[in-house]
Amino acid sequence: MDYTQTGKKLDIDLLSKVMDATNTGIVITDNLLPDNPIVYCNPAFEEISGYSREEIIGHNCRFLQGKDRGQEQRAIIGAAIANGENCHVEIRNYSKTGKLFWNELYISPVKDDEGNVTNFIGIQNDVTLRKKAQLELEMNQADMEKKVEERTRMLKDNQEYLKSIVETIRESLLVMDKNYNILSANNHFLNTFKVSINETKGKTLYDLGNGQWNIPELKVMMEEILPTNNPVLDYEVEHEFPHIGKKLMLLNAHRIELEGQYKDWILLAIEDITDRRAIQQRKDDFLSIASHELKTPLTTIVGYMQMMNRLMPENASDKFKNVVDKTSRYVHRLNQLLGELLDVSRIQTGNIELHPEPFDFDRMVMETIDGIKAASPKRNIELVGKSGTNYNGDESHLVQVISNLLSNALKYSPENTTVTVQVNAISDFIKVSITDRGMGISHDEQAKVFDRFYRVGEIQRHYPGMGIGLYICQQIISNHGGTIWVESEKQKGSVFSFTLPVNR
Amino acid sequence: MKNKKILVCDDDQGILEMLELILEDEGYQVVIEPKSVNALKRIEQETPDLILLDIWMPVISGDQILRSLKSDTEKAKIPVFMYSASTDGKVIAKAAGADGYLEKPFDIEVLLANIDDLIKAYPMG
Repeated sequence: MDYTQTGKKLDIDLLSKVMDATNTGIVITDNLLPDNPIVYCNPAFEEISGYSREEIIGHNCRFLQGKDRGQEQRAIIGAAIANGENCHVEIRNYSKTGKLFWNELYISPVKDDEGNVTNFIGIQNDVTLRKKAQLELEMNQADMEKKVEERTRMLKDNQEYLKSIVETIRESLLVMDKNYNILSANNHFLNTFKVSINETKGKTLYDLGNGQWNIPELKVMMEEILPTNNPVLDYEVEHEFPHIGKKLMLLNAHRIELEGQYKDWILLAIEDITDRRAIQQRKDDFLSIASHELKTPLTTIVGYMQMMNRLMPENASDKFKNVVDKTSRYVHRLNQLLGELLDVSRIQTGNIELHPEPFDFDRMVMETIDGIKAASPKRNIELVGKSGTNYNGDESHLVQVISNLLSNALKYSPENTTVTVQVNAISDFIKVSITDRGMGISHDEQAKVFDRFYRVGEIQRHYPGMGIGLYICQQIISNHGGTIWVESEKQKGSVFSFTLPVNR
Repeated sequence: MKNKKILVCDDDQGILEMLELILEDEGYQVVIEPKSVNALKRIEQETPDLILLDIWMPVISGDQILRSLKSDTEKAKIPVFMYSASTDGKVIAKAAGADGYLEKPFDIEVLLANIDDLIKAYPMG
């Protein structure tokens, strides 16, 4: 081999020492021998590859790639060798133990005077750590980009989502800053009030459409939202609005805040309840008229029923007496149901009118108990205590409450048990408690028994009814300024109590 | 009780017939009038011992009839008992000066007891 360059002969020993000392792996192949075998390797290459010199010499360099043959760098190397050119690649190689290392490989051809490639010199560096760091960096970057993309898409999705809700909702929505300047209005608002976005955005709430929202009471509530965080809930505004005429609107307003984005904004939702209220009114009117109209023929029937009882011959058959008796009971039931229907229609329209007059409370309780006793002579009803009060209230309504509570107590307790009515004067209240020893009401259901049309599940099957008796009782008691409640234990019985303030 | 005359004015034929039957059974003499416009004239003619009046009647309502009666010194003394299917009937009846009131559908026994009391208390009786 001729190691001359620029005509200067180098000391081969020196050169060999340099190659032994360097930590860069160096191999030399002989291109003139079949399959371009390795003819030289330095100790650094042994170190990098994990193979000993004996295992290296004579092999083609490809053994370093193990089974990892699919790398595109191989094609680059192949082309360089075929064309006798330089190349520089980073390629995955595998040490003797099978461990992957990234090899930064420089290949240079060595040519003879005729230009034939006699050898290739391969300079190798293990760049695994660098490569790994680089790959990690690339991966992190890709990951980051993906995340950013995802977040952006999510934000956009969220915005689209929110926008579609805001635009789909059948309610007018306004967003305002802390000075009540309109920041945005949804299409429902613009359509409802027949205004354009330009007439709305940027103006203050109170300047909108001839100051239609400039209502002192509303203003006070709106101005309290931010400092107190108290929302405006179900505030009704009836107003002659420009373009759309007289409407009944239901307003709800809340403070809204999105951390880092905005705070102290106000969301105002406006719902047009004009039609809904009118429909409700018509329904209530209908209910009221229908039950009134039914009452007149019912009065006639009740009258004739009572005549039948009076005219009943002494010697009438039991069968006949029984039929007459059943008929009167069902007429009575029909009468009760009609009364309840009327009460509901009255309560729903807020028309439960009290006609307060002073009356002897204890006498009223006694008479009511007597009335119920007459209808259920087998039952034992005891009266304990008295109020000693000449109470100023609506006697007929309070009779209704006590009758209702007493009938329930009798209905839902066994025949051989006693129902107790306790009346007391407590401070400046009258308290009445009606205790039965019946089936009781579960804790869950106690909260609901005063709801309109609510019936305790298992009871509906045995005692059909409309489930409004207790609702009506509650309305009557609360209209008197009192409270009504129930305490009960399953299988032990229930105590329904109410209080009435005496000095109202 | 016998020979006391009761005049009933109601636009509902069913109620009229039922009350006529029941009151006659009680031993009263009963005059019925389905048209409220004729009520004052009938009262003039019949001079009843008690008047039973529905409140809601077409053309002239029961409370209007009662007010007219109250403006006549002689007829103002006749006790008037009113009834109605409406819950505000009680207030209307009281304001017009009725001597008693019941809400429909009323209990016949209660009605008869009320009538009995009023007739006994009626000074002209």
